[in-house]
Amino acid sequence: MSELKLAEELSEIEKTALKALVKQKQLTFEELIKATKLNIDSARRATEWLAHKKLALTKSKIKTKKVLTKKGLKALEKGLPEKRLLKTVLKEKISISELAEKASLEKEEVNAALGENKKNSFIAIENGLVSATSVGKEFSAKESEEEKILKKIKNNEKTENVSGLTERGLIEEKTVKEIKMELSEKGKKVYELLKKVKKRTFVLDEQVEPFYIGKKQPYVQFLNSIRRKLTELGFKEMESPLIVQEFYNFDVLFQPQNHPARTWSDTYQLIKPKQGRLPDKKIVKSIKDAHEHGGISASSGWRYSWLENIAARIMPAAHGTAHSAKQLVKGVEMPGKYFAIARCFRPDVIDSTHLIEFNQVEGFVVDKNLNFKHLLGILKDFATEIAGAKKVRFYPDYYPFTEPSVQLSAKHPKLGWMELGGAGMFRPELLENLGIKGQAIAWGLGIDRLAMFKLGIKDIRELFSDNLQWLRDSKMVIK
Amino acid sequence: MVKRFKNGDKIMPTITANYKDLCQLIGKKLSKKELEKMLMFVKGELDEFGEELKIDVKETNRPDLWSAEGIAREIKTRTGKTKGLPKYKTIKGKISCTIEKSVTKTRPFITCAIIKNVKVTEHLLEQIIQLQEKIGTTFGRKRKETGIGLYDLDEMVPPVFYKGYKNSEIKFVPLEFSKEMNPKQILREHPKGKEFGYLLEESENYPIVIDSENVVASMPPIINSEKSGKITKKTKNIFLEVTGFNWNTCNTALKIMSMALMDRGAKIETVKMIFPKRPLYPKKSILTPEFGTKKISFELSLIEKISGLKIEKKELTELIKKAGMNPKIKGKKIEVEYPDYRQDVLHAVDIIEDILISKGYNNIELEKIEMDVKGKELEKTLLVDKVRDVCVGMGLQEILTFNLTSGEKQKSIGEKNFVELANPVSKEWGVFRKKIIPEHLEFLQKNKRYEFPQKIFEIGNTLELDSKKETGVKENESVCITLSDKSTDFNKIKSHLDSLCKAFAWNYSLTKKDLELFEKGKSAEIKIGLNRGIIGIVSKKTMEKFGLKEKTAVLELEF
Repeated sequence: MSELKLAEELSEIEKTALKALVKQKQLTFEELIKATKLNIDSARRATEWLAHKKLALTKSKIKTKKVLTKKGLKALEKGLPEKRLLKTVLKEKISISELAEKASLEKEEVNAALGENKKNSFIAIENGLVSATSVGKEFSAKESEEEKILKKIKNNEKTENVSGLTERGLIEEKTVKEIKMELSEKGKKVYELLKKVKKRTFVLDEQVEPFYIGKKQPYVQFLNSIRRKLTELGFKEMESPLIVQEFYNFDVLFQPQNHPARTWSDTYQLIKPKQGRLPDKKIVKSIKDAHEHGGISASSGWRYSWLENIAARIMPAAHGTAHSAKQLVKGVEMPGKYFAIARCFRPDVIDSTHLIEFNQVEGFVVDKNLNFKHLLGILKDFATEIAGAKKVRFYPDYYPFTEPSVQLSAKHPKLGWMELGGAGMFRPELLENLGIKGQAIAWGLGIDRLAMFKLGIKDIRELFSDNLQWLRDSKMVIK
Repeated sequence: MVKRFKNGDKIMPTITANYKDLCQLIGKKLSKKELEKMLMFVKGELDEFGEELKIDVKETNRPDLWSAEGIAREIKTRTGKTKGLPKYKTIKGKISCTIEKSVTKTRPFITCAIIKNVKVTEHLLEQIIQLQEKIGTTFGRKRKETGIGLYDLDEMVPPVFYKGYKNSEIKFVPLEFSKEMNPKQILREHPKGKEFGYLLEESENYPIVIDSENVVASMPPIINSEKSGKITKKTKNIFLEVTGFNWNTCNTALKIMSMALMDRGAKIETVKMIFPKRPLYPKKSILTPEFGTKKISFELSLIEKISGLKIEKKELTELIKKAGMNPKIKGKKIEVEYPDYRQDVLHAVDIIEDILISKGYNNIELEKIEMDVKGKELEKTLLVDKVRDVCVGMGLQEILTFNLTSGEKQKSIGEKNFVELANPVSKEWGVFRKKIIPEHLEFLQKNKRYEFPQKIFEIGNTLELDSKKETGVKENESVCITLSDKSTDFNKIKSHLDSLCKAFAWNYSLTKKDLELFEKGKSAEIKIGLNRGIIGIVSKKTMEKFGLKEKTAVLELEF
């Protein structure tokens, strides 16, 4: 492209940047912003475009820079551990064992902080009681050298020796890329030609500024598409609160109170609130009977004595079936199809395949005459409609509240065989004692792998992405 | 009903087995594919395949399946190698075990068996220890309900006694230790004592298994003695005991352990259990283990009702026999006899599932459900979606954050009194959020490098304590809008509120209110009927706390 043509097609931000370059010959990115008063994004664009047209040459250099670590930031905000300790003992003597709590220090910080203060004779320790010395009292009011250094680093000022603070993990070195721009010969010529250009030529294939539109979160879009498919299949949505009584999460579902799943290892418990209210006495009695001796069903029950105050405990919903349980207690339409997209909570190690807070799609189908063949039929429907699968496989499975129980595997066209969900016929102990005359098929779908596939992500945590640019660039989820 | 059992979840037993050994027990070399198919019979999933296998057994109600022997036993029955009720016979032994009154308050039951002519191999040892461990942990509720002990019989001098001792009355050398210790020392110092000590914490008398020469065998369910409580490859005869609080549960565990050893060729001799006076105990004395059966009888028509299948009587008999049970069809009724260790059978449906498993789930034809019902979303969902539409229309990017968050973060904007977890995995996720705002400020902090203006919104739950609610928690539906760039001012955020409210014809009013989070004089409370919200310019102090530089305004509103 001729230089004149280049000059004719230059945009305003490019002209501004070029002008600054002609003046200064060489500029870092920060200097360019200062000189031109362009905002950071326009400056970035101008740099990119000028470099692309070879009007400027860019060189990048890797530099190291000192920054505060998380610990360093905390120390700057709340004071260094030794300072905090010192301030705590200014007015009264405090025993070593209480120091951590009173100075809000981590246990492992206490010893180091004691040592540091002792070394400088800021504190005295007598019979396990710590008090501040007069030197310490004087010192506590002043800003220490370390604190000065931390402040300087926070403000990007030059600092001297910081090795002690690096060792303590308050400061770390970070590498940063510094970009330097230099005017090219071509750039110089084009700038000269600018004077001759009266009007900018319209450029069709020019890069345009991105326009960030309002968009729904991709995982929300995905969940909404699942919700729509389920309503199309005739399902009614159920309430799905985050917090439930154990009664719904466990007892209505015929999980005995001494069942290992009720212990701490896999459900959350609450400090506040602890106890909630149970429904109608008659219903509570029928669930008690179901557990103790089968109630009105032809079951032996679990044969133990069922306690109301355990059932009244409050917990975060651990599975979506808790909401099916509540719907069954409230009453159902016959025939009826129900579903919920429920936020569930379980203590777990958070990693690329596990979250402690996740969504479950759960529900049930209820009618006078439903059987195992229908159960397999509806699972096949789910596989086709939700996962686009043509082939399915069924495996015997176990749930405390269903019998028979099934695991559904479906062959996804791209992902291959995947575990898509679980299902079963609600146990008669459960249905009969709630006065439901008929059968109910309970089901649940594991949709996270599908969601990850649809959104093109490998890490489950990205369903709740905290990266704005990823969200801005995400594609719409159509079905 | 979606299993998430991979991490840290100890509910579902994962069984380790040697591939060759398992095939030998089954009596057939199986390929990986064949094995996977066979594992369906135990609700098992092959987790790892190789010389060593890892099998997740999803059946948490059938401890008889939690060993290589148990898995092999079930597969052999289901494939027709051995049909009907399993046949386990005991020989009447001469040894007795006396339960003394002194132990009844602490841990009242013990049940025992003698295992003779054991060929202790590496695989047997591995399986027996695993089965003991799995039963103790899952079925025995961390040894509380049942704990199992195995001893070298030749190191003991029967008869055996199960007695309670005061701390000062007894001393022995616990397993893997070299000095004599009293019960309290063991609970304090021995690793197993520390782990399970709480089970005996409140007892006055410590339960002790001791022989006729006053040599201690163990303090169940904590630890065996170094003297006799070790099984090695040299062991020929084993003394097996199960202790606990429920006679039936203990005997189930005893039978399951005995069967696994018998599957490997051992002979089982009974032990005469001698009890103190009733009412706690079933009889004066009893021989254990006793392999009995139970019967359940139900209408034949129930099978068709639940399964949807018409099964001929001959096939039905076959399918039930393949489940290790014996059926008797009498007119319109069927009576099924099953081993008494199958404590999972509570109702006829449990038998019907077994019939279907014998039949093979994938051999059953599917049937479509015909129902004349209409699907419907909740009113609340519809509203949430419309609020979302309006926010998108205002050019905002939706984000999604978690309900669980750190109390510290919430407190940093002046909130308190949260719905709080008792057992959080970390403080970072210790409370339910009361406001979405802090999550948004943190979001901005993580995205400072991206282009401004940054305009985001989120719709989600916010939780507050409220004793009027049945769960003690009020769950709000809230929308949070956050704008950040240098041109941000109060009017800009207010115009978002105004447009949102107009779109739903919500009559809102603003009252000046200073809040910790906001710049003084530039914040207000929003009222729409009973719903509340806040709006304002984020103060410099809050900006610093979250490490933000660009001017930021937020609004959060319940709807």
